[in-house]
Amino acid sequence: MKRNVLIIGGGPAGMEAARRIRDYGHTPILIEKESRLGGHLAKWHKLFPEGESTEELLTSLTADMEGINYFTDTNIVSINKLKNLYVAIFSNGISVQADAILFATGFSMFPAEKKEEYGYGIYNHVITNADLEHFFNTGKDPRIKEPKVIGFVHCVGSRDEKAGNRQCSKVCCATALKQACEMKELYPDATIYCFYMDLRMFGRKYEDLYLNAQRKYGILFVRGRVSEVSEDIDGRLVVKAEDTLVGKPIRITMDLLVLMAGMSPCVENPKIASMTGVHIGEDGFFMPRDLLYRSVESHSKGIFFAGAATGPKTIPETLNEARAAAMAIDHYFKQKA
Amino acid sequence: MMRERFISGYDHFVLPFMVGMIFVLLWCIIGVIKIMVQLERKDRIKVYKSLVNPVIMGKNVRDWFGDCLFHVKLWRRNKVLGYMHSSIAFGWFMLIVIGHIETFLYIPERGGLFYYPIFFRYFMAVESTTLKGSLLFFLMDFFLLVVLSGIILAIIKRFRSKLMGMRRTTKLTLLDRVGLYSLWAIFPLRLIAEGFTAGVGGGSFLTVPVNWLFASILSKPENFTIAWWAYSIALGTFMIVLPYTRYMHIPAEFFLIPLKNAGIKVRRPRKGYALAELYSCPSCGVCLDACPMSVDKAGLKNTTVYYIRQVKRRNQPRALAIADKCLMCGKCSVLCPINISAIDLRLALRKQQPYNIEHDFSYLDKIPNEALTSAISVGGEKVLYYSGCMSSLTPMVSQSVQKVLTTAGIDFTLMDEQGTICCGRPLLLSGRTEEAKALIEKNEQIIKESGAPILLVSCAICYRIFKEDYDLNGVQVMHYTEYFEQLAAEGVIKLRKQEKLKYVYHDPCELGRGCGIYEAPRKALARVANLVPAAKERKESICCGGSLGSLTLTHEERGRITENSIRNLTANSPDRIVTACPLCMKTFSRQSEIKVVDFAQVIAENLVEKEKEE
Repeated sequence: MKRNVLIIGGGPAGMEAARRIRDYGHTPILIEKESRLGGHLAKWHKLFPEGESTEELLTSLTADMEGINYFTDTNIVSINKLKNLYVAIFSNGISVQADAILFATGFSMFPAEKKEEYGYGIYNHVITNADLEHFFNTGKDPRIKEPKVIGFVHCVGSRDEKAGNRQCSKVCCATALKQACEMKELYPDATIYCFYMDLRMFGRKYEDLYLNAQRKYGILFVRGRVSEVSEDIDGRLVVKAEDTLVGKPIRITMDLLVLMAGMSPCVENPKIASMTGVHIGEDGFFMPRDLLYRSVESHSKGIFFAGAATGPKTIPETLNEARAAAMAIDHYFKQKA
Repeated sequence: MMRERFISGYDHFVLPFMVGMIFVLLWCIIGVIKIMVQLERKDRIKVYKSLVNPVIMGKNVRDWFGDCLFHVKLWRRNKVLGYMHSSIAFGWFMLIVIGHIETFLYIPERGGLFYYPIFFRYFMAVESTTLKGSLLFFLMDFFLLVVLSGIILAIIKRFRSKLMGMRRTTKLTLLDRVGLYSLWAIFPLRLIAEGFTAGVGGGSFLTVPVNWLFASILSKPENFTIAWWAYSIALGTFMIVLPYTRYMHIPAEFFLIPLKNAGIKVRRPRKGYALAELYSCPSCGVCLDACPMSVDKAGLKNTTVYYIRQVKRRNQPRALAIADKCLMCGKCSVLCPINISAIDLRLALRKQQPYNIEHDFSYLDKIPNEALTSAISVGGEKVLYYSGCMSSLTPMVSQSVQKVLTTAGIDFTLMDEQGTICCGRPLLLSGRTEEAKALIEKNEQIIKESGAPILLVSCAICYRIFKEDYDLNGVQVMHYTEYFEQLAAEGVIKLRKQEKLKYVYHDPCELGRGCGIYEAPRKALARVANLVPAAKERKESICCGGSLGSLTLTHEERGRITENSIRNLTANSPDRIVTACPLCMKTFSRQSEIKVVDFAQVIAENLVEKEKEE
């Protein structure tokens, strides 16, 4: 018997899960709030650890979409539970009956302007990691003008209780290093600093990336948080930080500052949670049944999770979780039958 | 006419009352001497001088009547609560006064006895009625009725405090309860005792009917000594426990008022003036509802009433824990019926704590004043703008202020362009007065050397310390809300009004309750948008939760305070929250769904550029 699975979120998790669910013989219905599939991934240029092309990954993810119903520019209006079914109404007027729902809602970028001391949106040469990827894609950003000194600020809105985000966003360390190396390739004469708390190079090949950044690209690493940023008369940025390894305050004038905005829980999480009764953790991410054994199942019957909806994750982790979720959903149907 | 019923003028039943009375009197006399001895010499002289100063004495008399007897502040808060307190206080006071008048009129030789005016009706018998006598009797019954009505309200309040505008009341100690119940018992017992005697000793509209009632239901109504015993025991019990209960505020406040009017301030956590304040706390619990920490039920124990209780009990660890938790927002003091200086009391305790951190201020000497004041020391410039440390974290504020100044064509210099020397307020708030002094002196030097007539400050926290603790030789310290409003009123800057926008203004603690600035920011904001009120504002504004005052509140606890404060601000669904303190702005922005902006930003956004206008 064919069953409907509603997948909320058309990022890598949602797309990968949709294909797998279809392969199991069920009917995936994928909805995406933005006008194209791909989520945050679609806005990126290259990926760590080895500079893999986003374009290629997206092509493989979208290559085979046959039998998958998907709607872009679509939001959830309501979800109601009827005995063993969920009835969802979309913002485009369509309503579907689903036997299971997969939350692949991902994350929201931390709004960097909330850390006002870094001056995003106030000073002319402060950008975010996402802005930089956009620049790599398009080659255009009025804020980047032949920079001689560039700074990368790690952990902007990550591991920062005052910003309301206690968690580590996991991907920014490697992203910062990748971007720093890319900038060095674009501007070989530039001096590039990375301001970090800890460098969390946990994945395979990540440490190589770090060594390369130091040896091959000459990126300078400063252990310490940036305390404040101001603009001098010429419009250059004056960055103050503490080098905690030396125990001295430092002050560097720069032409570009890149803020590594972290992953916040998806802003729509509370709304979706209130419709379905799934649990939200203290940190704002969805709470699975448990964090070890059943990390793709929710506390509500027939609702599953994949990807960054349950916390920051890298691309391969997200894709694997999507596959695991598809398997869990199939298993759930088999048990019910 | 009246005559004495007993030649001795004495009966054993007065003993409980006399014991209590003498005990309380001795206690109070010793207490007054103790406080006066503990005061610093210059403070003591100040007190003596104030007692011969007719202006201050006039103030004392006004406050004695207004605060101790009529409880004017409570009336303003809630009419029923005000009536309850003033009926008991003033009614009781009048019973004592008229009792004495009676004694001195009819039997002046007994005037020296404490108990005689109190038990007058027992000792005297009426021979014939006169107009004067019945008027006095009428007044006595009237004030007894007034007190009884107050007691009835007090009993109702114990069970339904909400009726009198109080959401929560203080948890009483055991002795407080003994005091409370004996206080409740005193006046009904007096009515019964006087009712028994009314047949002989006379009475009026209240006691005489009670006498008839007793006569009709009791076989031997003459046997009334037992009622007088009960009345005397109730009085005696009340006075014996008085020094150990919250009712100590009755005599203590009487003494606190002249000290306060003489300008004495808290210097030590539990000695001198502080001691007078500790005993003047009536444990009424107004601070429970006032305290921002009471959003959490667990936070209730950190309110001023419990702080005072712990200090009185000499429970140093608890007292210190509460003192360190406090946000120092000052709301409890403002709402307190006797305005206990809650912040000063806690600060005094913080100051006493050993401090192990060695501050190295040698860098201050290395900073050449010229580097900071190179542009200023020429003199003649009009405004020196100190943006403060917080402005480095909220650069929008100082940018906006500079934009307004530039547009207005004001000659100004940024005092801390090359780096801010902290104003010292955070150190001061944590009780580190000496360390703060080093910073204050350096800043004073820079400001004075600049020769600027006006010091402009955009941070409410800095503003307060510049106003209160700096000696600036007449340099005028202005908060940017005052200054911009002045510029707008004088037409130096022109602002456009966004008719469709609704703003709510948050009173920062340091600016509002701290420095009394409520109007200037509102006037200026009304020029650029429609101002809607918050549920509670001005002196009742709720701390944003980010206050530097607290040393130990956790992020979670602060978060809940912030949430509550935002809820209060958004009661009338504004489009934006405007505040005039960078710390409030930063704290709110973290949690608010509505955009939070700084006052300067709002003004800067709505400036009408002069050229465009022409």
